[in-house]
Amino acid sequence: MVRDQGALRLENPWPLIGWASFAAIVVSSFLIGFVFLSRYQENTDPLTFWGAICRGLGITADTAAASSPQAPLRTPTEIAWTQTTLEQIRNGDAQRGRFIAMNCVACHEEATANRSHLIPILDGLDAAVIFKQLSDYRSGKRSWGVMNGIGKALDAQASADVAAYFATRTGRLQTDSGMRFPEGGRGFRQSNVGKRLIFAGDPQRGIAPCASCHGPGGYKLGAPALKGQYSAYIERQLAAFAQGIRQNDIYEQMRAIARHLTADEMKAVAEYFGAPGRQVAAKN
Amino acid sequence: VYNSRWLTLCHFWVAFGVFLLAAVLGAWQMLMRSPLPAPLDDPNLYYASVTLHGTAMAYVVTTFFAMGFGYAVTATSLSRPIRGTMAAWIGFAICLTGTLMAVVAILSGQASVLYTFYPPLLGSVWYYCGAFLLVGGSMIWVVLMVINMMAWKRDNPGKPVPLAMFAIAATALLWAWAASGVEVELATIVLPRAFGFTTEMDAGLARMLFSVTLHAIVYFWLMPAYIAFYTLVPQVAGGRLYSDTMGRLTFIMFLLFSLPVGIHHLLADPEIGIGFKFLQSFLTFFVALPTLLTVFSICASLEIAGRHRGGTGLFGWIAALPWDEPMILAVGLSLVMLGFGGGGGLINMAYGMNSMIHNTAWILAHFHLIFGGAVVIMYFAIAYEMWPRITDKPLRSKQLARWQLSLWFLGMMIMTIPWHITGLMGQPRRVAIFDFTDPLLARMIPLADLSVIGGLILLTSAILFIAILVRSQFGTLELAAPLRYALAVNPPTRVPESLNGFALWNTILLMFMIVMYGYPIGQFFFLKSSVPVYEMTRQSAAAGLQ
Repeated sequence: MVRDQGALRLENPWPLIGWASFAAIVVSSFLIGFVFLSRYQENTDPLTFWGAICRGLGITADTAAASSPQAPLRTPTEIAWTQTTLEQIRNGDAQRGRFIAMNCVACHEEATANRSHLIPILDGLDAAVIFKQLSDYRSGKRSWGVMNGIGKALDAQASADVAAYFATRTGRLQTDSGMRFPEGGRGFRQSNVGKRLIFAGDPQRGIAPCASCHGPGGYKLGAPALKGQYSAYIERQLAAFAQGIRQNDIYEQMRAIARHLTADEMKAVAEYFGAPGRQVAAKN
Repeated sequence: VYNSRWLTLCHFWVAFGVFLLAAVLGAWQMLMRSPLPAPLDDPNLYYASVTLHGTAMAYVVTTFFAMGFGYAVTATSLSRPIRGTMAAWIGFAICLTGTLMAVVAILSGQASVLYTFYPPLLGSVWYYCGAFLLVGGSMIWVVLMVINMMAWKRDNPGKPVPLAMFAIAATALLWAWAASGVEVELATIVLPRAFGFTTEMDAGLARMLFSVTLHAIVYFWLMPAYIAFYTLVPQVAGGRLYSDTMGRLTFIMFLLFSLPVGIHHLLADPEIGIGFKFLQSFLTFFVALPTLLTVFSICASLEIAGRHRGGTGLFGWIAALPWDEPMILAVGLSLVMLGFGGGGGLINMAYGMNSMIHNTAWILAHFHLIFGGAVVIMYFAIAYEMWPRITDKPLRSKQLARWQLSLWFLGMMIMTIPWHITGLMGQPRRVAIFDFTDPLLARMIPLADLSVIGGLILLTSAILFIAILVRSQFGTLELAAPLRYALAVNPPTRVPESLNGFALWNTILLMFMIVMYGYPIGQFFFLKSSVPVYEMTRQSAAAGLQ
């Protein structure tokens, strides 16, 4: 057998095998990795020869993307449910609120101004809901004719007071069904479209049941009770969310859900929620 | 075993003592991860426990085992006393000190950074110093292995170095190359920050340096098992090694291909270009070569033995093998686990497929199967083979040993196959608490429960292993037959210098490392990717209990 004289002497068989294999592996892997595979990108045209090598090395055009200017953040509302906010709402004075509310009832009560029922019932609405909407009107996050001006006229304390007043007035919006056991027919097989969407939702389209936040299943902070609200008002708000006209829902839940509803479904939901409310209206 | 008796015994006892402790922690971690109630249910303790389990199993058990095994192999394969026993004991003391420092730091809850350090997490300086000393102390062993081989070659000019010695020297060199990554990382990035000399940490560079260690360390763990495959198994089976040259080539290829491939552990890291990620994935596939060579030559050697023992026909030789020998049983079980684990490994290292299972329970299933299964079961078999030689007391008993090995195999399979499946379902790893009431996770409940059963079987097997060793140690004195290594079918009389030493292969490896790691490491000097650290020292394990 040949005795090697040194590791780098290529006339010996094993160094030759070793270095040749090394060279073959390095050259072929570099060609595949840097020239061939780096060329192709997922969504755009193949790169040039030098572009592919640079991409293989990790030098790309978007290396400095993090330092480029970012679009300003858009916030849907200025209200956050912090301890301070909740304290502020809890400290509302219903007696003072009653005085302020004298301006509200002109439209929000049954009145000629509200014949089309596009102005919502406030009696029995949760104080946090009214407080948030007044704040959104004040800051321009929600727009509705006269309400922006009224919102600006009220400061945070006045908003809390008036919210506390309306929260004490019960009777018109129903926060529970009055039954000891939940009524039946709340599953996916319910034939009433409105009732099915309210209690079961439509998971295939990513639509959560309305009742899980708006009651009677459960009440999320800031989500208004809807049972007994005017149907026309609910339908109008759903359309406004779906078209992006109303944008003050935190995390865009209402916009995301409303976008998936057809016009008929919005009507069905609104009518199911509003049914008893209409009876009350008829009695008056 | 000449003068290596006490060295080997002390190294093995440290390794196996720590192994038992880490196995208990592992079983508790299984309970924590599962829907079943676990004692001391606290996430902070979980992360401390994972750090200790990983550090113990990956650094302490393996390093001490390889060192003890290396001393025994040097003395027995060269048939002469080893040189430098004083230095060996100093190395032992340094490694033990490092281990104690690291263990105390982890137990205090100040170093729950997991065993791969995860910069920019920052734990107690004692932990990093301990790891540094443990790895650094083992470099004395590396030098001793090389010195002993070179001295033997000087005294026996022209003779081939015995395969066992050649292989353990390859192991030592592999470890020296591998450890360079973590030692440089600790010395230049982590320790300066831990001591407060710097204010930030270059997490990208630190991870890159650790990747030099991360894959090769696995082969360092694997090498004692492969040495047993080539030099002990054919002897115990009563046959001969199929080819001596194939053995040498296998160990040379492990040295070459386990090192320039570490970036396949960083396939999701943003700083590295896709070219180098592909390159090192591509090179990783070459590691399959020595593995397949080994499977081939071990099967061939076993067939020689089987036919020698009277087995006939296409598969008759398999039944003729001495399956009552722990070593043979262990090889059979080990190859099964190597097959499953290796198949999973091909998926992990493939640049494209990795993203399916990246950081999921699949990964821990893979390395528990490969290391905890295929390798550790060979550690057990080696210990059973070595014990009578280093204590002069017979093993009590082979039947118990067979039970222990079978339980280990059973437990490992029951634990890791459900993990593979939950990994594919998306269960992340290194997470203390899962909310199994979530519908997405509820599907995993039966699998998670099943793997707990596997974990408990493993713990039983680990306790049994220690019990067998202790029972044997307190047995009656009885001289055992000296350790003999398998002869090759054609024993080499002369081999080319290139297959009798490592000069050529170290040079090629150096070139590989420059080509494969030069730019990926060099780029960090203009990337400026230093970041502030996240200190883990502020939160104590006790805080979570309240």
